[in-house]
Amino acid sequence: MKWITARRRHPLAGYVVVILALALFGVGYAALAPTADQAEAQTLAAEVPSPDDVDVAAGEDIFNQTCASCHNYDGGGSDTGPDIRNSGAASVNFQVSTGRMPSMDPDSQMPRRPMVMSEQDLANLIAYYNEEIREGGPDIPYEVPGGPPQRENFEDDASYEAAMEEHEADFEAYIEGADDTDMGMKLYLTNCAHCHGWSGGGGALTDGRWAPEIHDATPREIYEAMVSGPGAMPMFSDTVIEPEEKQELISYVKKLQAEPNAGGIFDLNRVGQVAEGFIGWVVGLSLIIACAIWITAKQRAHD
Amino acid sequence: MSKTTQAPKALRGVGNFIDDRFHLAKTGEKNLRKVFPNHWSFMLGEIALYSFIILLVSGVFLTLWFKPSMLEVVYDGAYERLQGVPMSEAYASTLYIDFEVRGGFLVRQIHHWAALIFVASLVVHMLRVFFTGAFRKPREINWLIGVAIFGLAMVEGLFGYSLPDDLPSGMGVRILQGVMLALPLVGPYISMFLFGGEFPGEDIITRLYMLHVLLIPALLLGLIVAHFMILWHQKHTQYPGTGRTDKTVVGTPMYPAFAVKAGGFFFFTFAVTAGLSGFVQINPIHLFGPFTPTSITSGLQPDWYMGFMEGSLRIFPNWFDIAPFGYAIPTAVLVPGLIVPGLIFGGLALWPFIEQWITGDKRARNVADRPRNAPVRTGVGVAGITFYGVLWLAGSNDILSETFSIDLYLTTYIFRVLAIVGPILGYIIAKRICLGLQRRDRETLEHGYESGTIQQLPSGEFIEVHKRSSDETIHVLENKPPLTSTALSEPEVDDKGVENPKTRKGPGKLRLALARWYTKDNVSLDDVEPYSGHHLHHSVPEGEKEATH
Repeated sequence: MKWITARRRHPLAGYVVVILALALFGVGYAALAPTADQAEAQTLAAEVPSPDDVDVAAGEDIFNQTCASCHNYDGGGSDTGPDIRNSGAASVNFQVSTGRMPSMDPDSQMPRRPMVMSEQDLANLIAYYNEEIREGGPDIPYEVPGGPPQRENFEDDASYEAAMEEHEADFEAYIEGADDTDMGMKLYLTNCAHCHGWSGGGGALTDGRWAPEIHDATPREIYEAMVSGPGAMPMFSDTVIEPEEKQELISYVKKLQAEPNAGGIFDLNRVGQVAEGFIGWVVGLSLIIACAIWITAKQRAHD
Repeated sequence: MSKTTQAPKALRGVGNFIDDRFHLAKTGEKNLRKVFPNHWSFMLGEIALYSFIILLVSGVFLTLWFKPSMLEVVYDGAYERLQGVPMSEAYASTLYIDFEVRGGFLVRQIHHWAALIFVASLVVHMLRVFFTGAFRKPREINWLIGVAIFGLAMVEGLFGYSLPDDLPSGMGVRILQGVMLALPLVGPYISMFLFGGEFPGEDIITRLYMLHVLLIPALLLGLIVAHFMILWHQKHTQYPGTGRTDKTVVGTPMYPAFAVKAGGFFFFTFAVTAGLSGFVQINPIHLFGPFTPTSITSGLQPDWYMGFMEGSLRIFPNWFDIAPFGYAIPTAVLVPGLIVPGLIFGGLALWPFIEQWITGDKRARNVADRPRNAPVRTGVGVAGITFYGVLWLAGSNDILSETFSIDLYLTTYIFRVLAIVGPILGYIIAKRICLGLQRRDRETLEHGYESGTIQQLPSGEFIEVHKRSSDETIHVLENKPPLTSTALSEPEVDDKGVENPKTRKGPGKLRLALARWYTKDNVSLDDVEPYSGHHLHHSVPEGEKEATH
C-alpha cells in the first residue's frame, strides 16, 4: 500500500488509473461476453447422399428429439413453431446447417452459429424429412457448391486434401461460371441490398429483426435462402430468378466480398460513411488538434 | 543602426525596387509585426483553412480527368470486375482516376478525407468562438460570414459526394430531390429547374459539377478571404490575463514566430490527411458500383456533416402530414428537411444579436469570455450541441441498431425523446457546472488554492493548507467581467411613480424577462478581496455562506 500511497499523486497517476480501468473492462468483457457466432461453414459434401449412406430410423429419432417439440411429430407446427411440411429439404438444410435450428428461443430471430449436429445426423434427418413429412417445397441444390469438407469426416489426410481440392475447383467453377457482372449486380442491388447491404454486411430490419451478414454464407446457403425464404426474407423461387441468374447474383456478391481493399489496409469493415465520419473526427481532427496544443505549448514555455 | 543589422545588398536592391513602386515597406513592416495571441484553440480555424487549401489543390488534380457526363458507356478499363458493365461516363472516369491515373486513388482519398476534416474543423472552430463569446461586437459580421461558410461547405460536400454517380451518390441526390419536392407550391418547379425535367435525368451531374468546382468554391474562397481580412483588421481575440485588455493584444509577432508555427501546422494537417488517405479506405466507389434507379442499399449514410439532416428525417413522425384540397403537404419531410436545419443555422446566425439585445452590451469586446463566466450562453451552446448530436446519431440509427443489437424502432423512439429531453438536460447540467466553477473561482480568490498538504493544529484539528495563487490567476479572477443587462438597471418606476413605458409592452417585457434569465444565479466576485478568507481554518465562519469547503 505504501507504494501506491507514495505514487498516487504522481502526474501520470490519473492516466494509469484510466488505462487500468479500460483494460479491466476490456478483458472482463472479452471474458464474459458470449463467443461471437463466427460459424464455420458446415454443410454436406457436394454429392447427393445415396440411400445406402443414410439411416431414416436414426433421422426419425433426431426429428422427434430436436424438432418435434415445436414443429410437431408430423411437421404440422404448433404454437411455438410453424408448419414445415411444405418448407422443402432446402429449408431444412439451410436452417440446420447454419445452426439456426434447433432454435434456442422460438420467439426471437436466431443468429448464425456452428451446426449443432454432425453432417451424418443432418443427412439422416433430411432423409427422414423427405420420406415421412415433406409434402412440397424446394429441393437442396446439390449442384451449387456448399461449404468446405471437414477433416473429421475423412480417414486420412490424402483423401481430405483430395476432397478439398475438388471443393475448391467446384467453387471456382461456379463463381467463374457467371460472366454477366451487370446482371448479377442489378439483381443483387435490386433484390438483396436493401436488407443485406451493398457488401452483404447485413443490416437492421423492422421490429427488432435483422438481415444477417452473408460473408460466411456458402453459395449453396445463399441459394437455399433464396428458394426457401427463411424468416422475414421473401422467397425468390427458380421461376422468379432463374438458376443461371442466381449464379450471377451469388457470383457478384462473393466476388465483391473477396475484392481486396484498394484504398488502404483499413477498410473500416466496409461500414461506410458512419465509420468514416467517426475516424475523421476521432483520428483525423484529434491528431491535428493535439498538434495545435503541442506547438502552442512549446511556444508558451519560451515566452 | 549598426552595419550588421542591414540586409544583404541583393535583398536590399529587390526591396528598394519594390518599395519605390508600391510603397510597401511601412505596411509590410506593420503587418509582419502583427501580434497573434497564443492558444491552441486559436489554431482551429487554421485547420479549416489548410484543409480548404488541400481541397483546392487535390480538387484541381481530379478535374484533369473527371468527366461530368451522364453519357452511358460500357466500361472497358483497368478494373476487371466491372468490365462490360454499362455506366455513366462520370462513374467510368472516376474509376479511371482510381485505377489508371498514377496516384489518382490517393488524391481522391485525400480530397475526401480533407473534406471531412474541413467541415469538422469548421464546427470546432465555431464552437470555440461561440463559447468564448468571440462573436460579440465588433465581430458579428465575421460570425455571420462564418455561418455562411459552414452552410456552403455542407452543400459543397453534398454535391461533391454526388458527382461520381456511384450507388451512394445517387441515393443522396434522391433524398435531395425529395426534400425539394416537399416544398409547397414551388418545390416541383425548383426540382425541375435543378434537374432539367420532371425526373432526375442526364443534366444533373453536369450542373452539380459546375456548382461543385466553380460557383460554390468561388463563394467559399471569397468568404474565407473576407473572414481573414476582417480578422486581420479587427485583430484576434485573446483570453484574459495580465496586460491583456480590450485595447491591447499580447502574443507573438506574425513574422517570424507565428509564420513558422502556422507554416509547420499546415504540413502537419496535410500529413494527417495524407496518412489517413494512405491507410484508411474511404468511399470505395469501385466496390459500390454505378447507380441505377432500381438500386438501393441499407446501411448507407451521407457524409457526417449531412448526418443531422438524415437523422431529423428519420426520426420525425408523419403524424402531421396534411392534404388540404387534395394538395399534399408532406410535413414529415418538410419540417425535418428544411425547418430543422433552418432553426439550427438561423439560431446560429441570430444568437449574437439576440444576446446583444438581452444584455444591451454595446462595447467592443476583444478579450474572450471564459465559458463559465457566461453560464446561460454556455448552457444554450451545450443544448444546441446535444440537439445536433442526437440528430446526428439518429442519422446512423440502422448502423447503431445492427452494431449494438438494439431494436431499430426502439432507437427511433429513444432518439425522439432524446431530441427533446437531451437539450434541456444539457442546458441545466452545463449551466450548473459553470456556476460550480464560478463558485470555485470565488473560493480560490478568497483562499488561494488547495495545496494538498495536511496540517494538524495544536488543538488537534486537521486542516488543508491553502497557498497563494499566481498573480496571473488572481488577475484573471479579479477582472471577471460583470454579467448584467441594461434592461435591469432601468428603474421600473420613475420618480413620479409612473411605470417605465419600455417594460410595459411586449418586447420590453420579454427583454426584461430574458435579462433576468440571462443574469440570475451568476456568482459575483466583485466583493471579494484576494486572500480575505480564513484560509487557515477548516470550519465555515459564521455569516459567510459562500465559503464552503
